[in-house]
Amino acid sequence: MLELLAQTGLNAVYAASYISLVAVGLVLIFGVMGVVNFAHGELFMAGAYAIVALYADMHVPFFVAVAIGLVFVGCLGLLMEKALFRPLKDNPLGGLVASIGFLMILQALAVMGFGVRMEHIPPVTQEVIAFSDKVRLPVARLYVIVAALVLLSALWYFLKKTKFGWALRASAQDPEAAALQGISITQTAKIAMFIGAGLAGIAGALTAPLVSVNPHMGHSVIVTAFIVIIVGGVGSLEGAIVASVAYAIVHTFVTTFYDGVLADIVGLCLMLIVLIVKPTGLFGSADRA
Amino acid sequence: MLLEMKNIAVNYGKINAIRDISISVPAGKIVTIIGANGAGKTTTLRAMSGMMPIASGEITFEGHRIDHLPAHKIVANGIAHVPEGRRIFPDMTVEENLRTGAFLRKDTDVIENDLEDVFKRFPRLRERRTQLAKTMSGGEQQMLAIGRALMSRPRLLLMDEPSMGLAPVIVEEIAQIVEEINEQGLSVVLVEQNAELALELADYAYVLETGNSALEGPANELHDNEHVRAAYLGI
Repeated sequence: MLELLAQTGLNAVYAASYISLVAVGLVLIFGVMGVVNFAHGELFMAGAYAIVALYADMHVPFFVAVAIGLVFVGCLGLLMEKALFRPLKDNPLGGLVASIGFLMILQALAVMGFGVRMEHIPPVTQEVIAFSDKVRLPVARLYVIVAALVLLSALWYFLKKTKFGWALRASAQDPEAAALQGISITQTAKIAMFIGAGLAGIAGALTAPLVSVNPHMGHSVIVTAFIVIIVGGVGSLEGAIVASVAYAIVHTFVTTFYDGVLADIVGLCLMLIVLIVKPTGLFGSADRA
Repeated sequence: MLLEMKNIAVNYGKINAIRDISISVPAGKIVTIIGANGAGKTTTLRAMSGMMPIASGEITFEGHRIDHLPAHKIVANGIAHVPEGRRIFPDMTVEENLRTGAFLRKDTDVIENDLEDVFKRFPRLRERRTQLAKTMSGGEQQMLAIGRALMSRPRLLLMDEPSMGLAPVIVEEIAQIVEEINEQGLSVVLVEQNAELALELADYAYVLETGNSALEGPANELHDNEHVRAAYLGI
């Protein structure tokens, strides 16, 4: 029993890692751009397909493919900023609708390029860290955990300790006042889109060999990310991380001890309870909600 | 003239917010803009700092045209704007707010000195250095907004309603600070609802009425002007 708990705990840490990468990117984009990016799950999907194309088909070394995937999806974010969100700057609802359109375009492109079948990606490594007979952590999962720790720490350092990080937070909190300090809002929007999309992309790329890659895989990811940012408090990066961990623990344990459908229901109930008890989310404040 | 605004018009959609306003700011002086709500005071100031696109006219600062420059480029030219309602960054600390004011500067050593100067001028900001800005009182937030503007080392400071919503004691304190800053050589454009205070502080004053300059003159003369006394000073 103890071993099962430990194994489920490890699974939860893995789930928390990729969920928080996706959710933090979504929060960052919402904070700085003021739009809800419905295409965020498809950015995750695009990262996974970068691995299909580069690693599985073209045999580029895995980590090189991951790096290219990160940059590629980051650039998709830049494209969204320039083509959709900047022209619709004064129309957040328009930005949301445009992001739904972009979601469909990305899905259609994936279908056209790769078909609707599930992609088989050869495993990156078969190595497993065995804590005991029944408590095992595949190294491929460890990559995701390490990436989340490194990238989220780097993001934290960037936001709290560097000038451009302050500029990003300032434009999220009050874009007009930020412009009055000499901060170019277009510049900070680009940085936020690149980082936000890039985090979704690298999460998709790293998990690609571990999940079933298909053009509609973004759907469950975006639903999870929305639950997490609502629980954490829309606009709060700390909240997104804490809620990712909480959601991953609850979801993984319920899946293991009962079943996956019940886990989804429990996840949604968790969100409803938070909305009833603290409508701004765990870390949200009323003025940003 | 440090700043010269000639025949400016600004529209909000189809509505003329200001129709034809000309304002000159001599170096080293305090110029105030007074008028009723909706007369176009804030819009005039926002046109100066590039927050509002102008429909016609021209604005020059130190001899260069600055209209049509975006707001973040105008700061680089040496104009800082303390906006209406202070608009500090609520979820950043006091120190982060101040350092954000120096965003464009590259002279790291001098920034440290200037930060020290701001803390000397506003000792309460030093005490609250690591506190989130949203947790401070209105007066402290106004001081933070002024401090943040000073961190860009401006040659012209635009202030929009610095006395708004503050207790009389704090208003007096803010007024003293404006005077001090000006005595140290910084030129100021002050938009104020509190005409009494504004005319007391300023060297020169403009009175706006429905988007036009109705009156202008040395502040002490306007203070004694019958129309101004009746309409704005309530005497």
